[in-house]
Amino acid sequence: MRHRIPLCLPAVAAIGLAAAVLAAPAQAPDGAAVLRRVDQNMGADNKVTTSEMIIRGRRGSRTVTSKSWIQGRAKSFTEYLDPPRERGTKMLKLEDQLWTYTPASDRTILISGHMLRQSVMGSDLSYEDMMEDQRLVALYDAVVAGEERVGDRPCWVLDLSSRGAEIAYYKRKIWVDQERDVILREARFAKSGKLLKTTDVRNVERMKDRWVSTRVVFKDALKDGEGTEFIVKAMEFNAAIPDHLFTKASLR
Amino acid sequence: MIRFLLKGLLRDRSRSLLPFITVMLGSALTVIGFSWTNGAMSSMIESGARFSTGHVKVMSRAYAKEADQAPNDLALAGAGSLLAGLAREYPNLDWTPRIAFGGLIDVPDAQGETRVQGPVAGLAVNLRDPGSPERGLLNLDKAVVRGRLPERPGEILLSDGFAARLGIGPGATATLISATMYGSLVVQNFVVAGTVRFGIAVMDRGAMIADIDDMRGALDMADSAGEILGFFRDSPYRRDEAASLAAGFNSARHGDGGEFAPRMVSLHEQSGLAQTLDFAAQVYSLMLVFFILVMSIVLWNAGLMSSLRRYGEFGIRLALGEDHGRLYRSLIAEGTIVGFLGSAAGTALGLAVSYYLQNTGFDLGSMLKNASVIVTDVLRARVTPASYVIGFVPGLAATFLGKAVSGIGIYRRETSRLAKEFEG
Amino acid sequence: MIIPKLALKNILGAGLRTWLNAFVLSLSFVLIIFSQGLLEGMNTQAEEAMIAAEIGGGHYQHAAYDPYDPLSLADAHGALPAPLAVMVSAGKAAPVLVIQGTIYPQGRLIAVQVKGIDPDQTVLNLPTAFLSAAQAGDEIPVLIGERMAALSGLKRGDTVTLQWRDARGTFDARDTVVVQVMKTSVQSIDRGQIWVPLERLREMTGMPGEATFVVLAQGAVRPADSAAGGWRFSGQDDFLADIRAMVESKSVGSSVFYAILLALAMLAIFDTQVLAIFHRRREMGTLMALGFTRGKVIALFTLEGMLNGVLAALVAAVYGIPLLSWVARTGWALPGDTDSYGFAIGERLFPSYSLGLVTGTTLLVLLTTTVVSFLPTRRIARLKPTDALRGRMT
Repeated sequence: MRHRIPLCLPAVAAIGLAAAVLAAPAQAPDGAAVLRRVDQNMGADNKVTTSEMIIRGRRGSRTVTSKSWIQGRAKSFTEYLDPPRERGTKMLKLEDQLWTYTPASDRTILISGHMLRQSVMGSDLSYEDMMEDQRLVALYDAVVAGEERVGDRPCWVLDLSSRGAEIAYYKRKIWVDQERDVILREARFAKSGKLLKTTDVRNVERMKDRWVSTRVVFKDALKDGEGTEFIVKAMEFNAAIPDHLFTKASLR
Repeated sequence: MIRFLLKGLLRDRSRSLLPFITVMLGSALTVIGFSWTNGAMSSMIESGARFSTGHVKVMSRAYAKEADQAPNDLALAGAGSLLAGLAREYPNLDWTPRIAFGGLIDVPDAQGETRVQGPVAGLAVNLRDPGSPERGLLNLDKAVVRGRLPERPGEILLSDGFAARLGIGPGATATLISATMYGSLVVQNFVVAGTVRFGIAVMDRGAMIADIDDMRGALDMADSAGEILGFFRDSPYRRDEAASLAAGFNSARHGDGGEFAPRMVSLHEQSGLAQTLDFAAQVYSLMLVFFILVMSIVLWNAGLMSSLRRYGEFGIRLALGEDHGRLYRSLIAEGTIVGFLGSAAGTALGLAVSYYLQNTGFDLGSMLKNASVIVTDVLRARVTPASYVIGFVPGLAATFLGKAVSGIGIYRRETSRLAKEFEG
Repeated sequence: MIIPKLALKNILGAGLRTWLNAFVLSLSFVLIIFSQGLLEGMNTQAEEAMIAAEIGGGHYQHAAYDPYDPLSLADAHGALPAPLAVMVSAGKAAPVLVIQGTIYPQGRLIAVQVKGIDPDQTVLNLPTAFLSAAQAGDEIPVLIGERMAALSGLKRGDTVTLQWRDARGTFDARDTVVVQVMKTSVQSIDRGQIWVPLERLREMTGMPGEATFVVLAQGAVRPADSAAGGWRFSGQDDFLADIRAMVESKSVGSSVFYAILLALAMLAIFDTQVLAIFHRRREMGTLMALGFTRGKVIALFTLEGMLNGVLAALVAAVYGIPLLSWVARTGWALPGDTDSYGFAIGERLFPSYSLGLVTGTTLLVLLTTTVVSFLPTRRIARLKPTDALRGRMT
């Protein structure tokens, strides 16, 4: 385990430089490899999760509970359970399309275009953020920029830059737990390099044979506010999910 | 002496009737002209007030800062008790809550799939409560183009052009996609009861009016209101009163520091209207000065002439031994009586016409092609306390002056000449 | 020919009375022309300001662009059709690229339209030259209007973060610096928008050579619609329809005002006529005895009344022309902006008196004067010359 070199000590700077030269290229893994390990930990199997979203606004906070059925990366089905007003609202994601159904109107609406940019339930997350394909390795070139601790966990710091696909964030910086292969912190940047959004993982739990981040805070960096907290209450791996769930008919 | 003069005035119609009618008509026209300019000026204010600013408006402090963006997450909570409090505290105003919102109108096809969508600016008002002033404020009865006004829950009005563009009409289902005050997605079905014309392009392109109870349900805004508008009851905007009302309301809540505490603003403080009004006031006060000037000269002229044509009579009276001063005074007294009576009658007539024009108005409906929510089609006069004196004072003064000037002739001319004029 | 001569002699002979009538009538005259001119001046000025700062000779808009639907902006951009590009390079048109963005003044979030315009353009009367001023660093120079400044709390020299998405939907954000707050009377180029250099915006968004609409210079010949490559032309009339409708409703109100004003002046004429007819019955009798028919006597008296109108026009010309032209030259200072109804007028209002207005008002006044002068003379028709000679009305 290597510690940061105090820059105020010029005497040891040379040693530090030498250490850096030795340490970074020699010990640091390939960025893509780190991302693949992250993907591996998340897995591509079927999952059923129950989660809470705590949305903090200027008038206090509210909690929205939902249950999601996820098949691989392309398909997911979410049903809101609480508060009562949102109960029965459902969302279906198939590849890059997102439908929502509200029982009150009995209508299924395709969320497209600018509507994808709207906030989900008033949170700091947009539908687009939620829709994002998690396989960062497919979208970004990753370079390990160094090592840092997040809390007491040693992390690889990865700089991700867009390969030119149509994506919202041109650059990202992620902190990946060196041992557990979970992302502990993320910063999303504009093309110009300006920080736009931050993600902080507050809690990581061992579930079955994987590490799962169970408490995450998302925040819009340009806006005042405390951000949105996302808490995983339960997660079932390799769940049996009937195929018909991922059809528009199942929304009603 | 007054009785003698009155007798003379009553018996000699030519001595009294024509000047009387002139003074009366002149005063009446002045009163009507004054009330009309007042009315024109306030109609300019009122159309903006009715649609958006109110005479005064109550918003949360946070909402007031971003009012342009209709930030419903910052809306007033506890609107019901606030409204009741306002009604109690300011009983001479009508208070009405509103919610402005934005979103999309989505029209389904037979399968319930989206057929067409369009962005919409919405206004939720108290439509169904029979005591609500909104139907009148928004000129809804006249602005309806197709269909009718909402009567049942879940019915809305769309701008006519918007409905046409979406290819729907009364009876159709329209789904509103918007966000609750907490930011959740709202998908709510409404039935189009009718279509209206707003009169400004941006609204006619895409706007809806819904009942506030429906929208409170839809936007998760139970007992909330974006803004509460106050209108002086049965009376147009009064600038100073509105300003002091707002100042009083705000200073009473000075200690309540929260950003969601209610704040009252007068019409003047909103959207740069102040300058418009100041300008209009300048123009109208100039017109008024001209008006009174013209009126004074007309009446003076009338007084002058009615004396001129009586030089013959004066000649005889002088010949009979009346002295000049007495004659002059009697002439002025006569003028004053005629002026007083004429001005009084004229003011009464003018006020009657002005009140009629204030209450019934002058309906442009047939002249303008389109009645609409925003551009008013009924022009009204407005009677103010000043209307009661504006015709009276110049009426009286001008007649008096007219007599005084023309009467000087009595001194200047020889008795013989005056008598000769009588001869013809 | 005797009647006009006699009428003129009579009316001038009446002295003070005549001049008072003429003066009253002339006041109405001048006031109607003045206030109508003020109204017209306000309208023309508003239209001219909008044309100068926003409309130009009209806009060619990208097929997907709907000015009333900000959501249409995401797709509403494209390369200029060839004839428009030619006009742009000839300085006869200015392309404007519009995207949606968000600014974050003091942690607040305000949605804005970001409009890119060539700083060196001369098509619109906008102080775009401020945008070309060299900027230190890579902050984007931004021009905003007073209302936008008030809404956002920004002032000249302030820095604010702007976030937008490029053509591929990728977020970008940069600091911008407000290089100038412009005072404009046209709120449709101010509220909810910020102006940036066109090339900078094209580069920021990855939309080289593209625009959302193209403003033609006033008087520029527009290319054939078929050559516009699907771009839609929106002319001055389309932009001005709203304020014209509003003016229409206002002008009815002022007509009522003029009617009352005119009625007041007519009261003076009517009064004079009634008195004259009453007073001058012996003269009428004499005229009839001399062979005047009743019709001729009526014509004489009507003409005398009408001459009041002519004299009034002359009197009005004497003081009205210098007065009104003085106001038209110096303008009427306005208290601040007067545009909250979409009326775009500057700080001074310049009345505009059209030929139609002046001749129209003159004809109107003469016509009403004649009618009002004629009405009392009908009594003459019943006059017996013998009675008249003795000074009696029949």
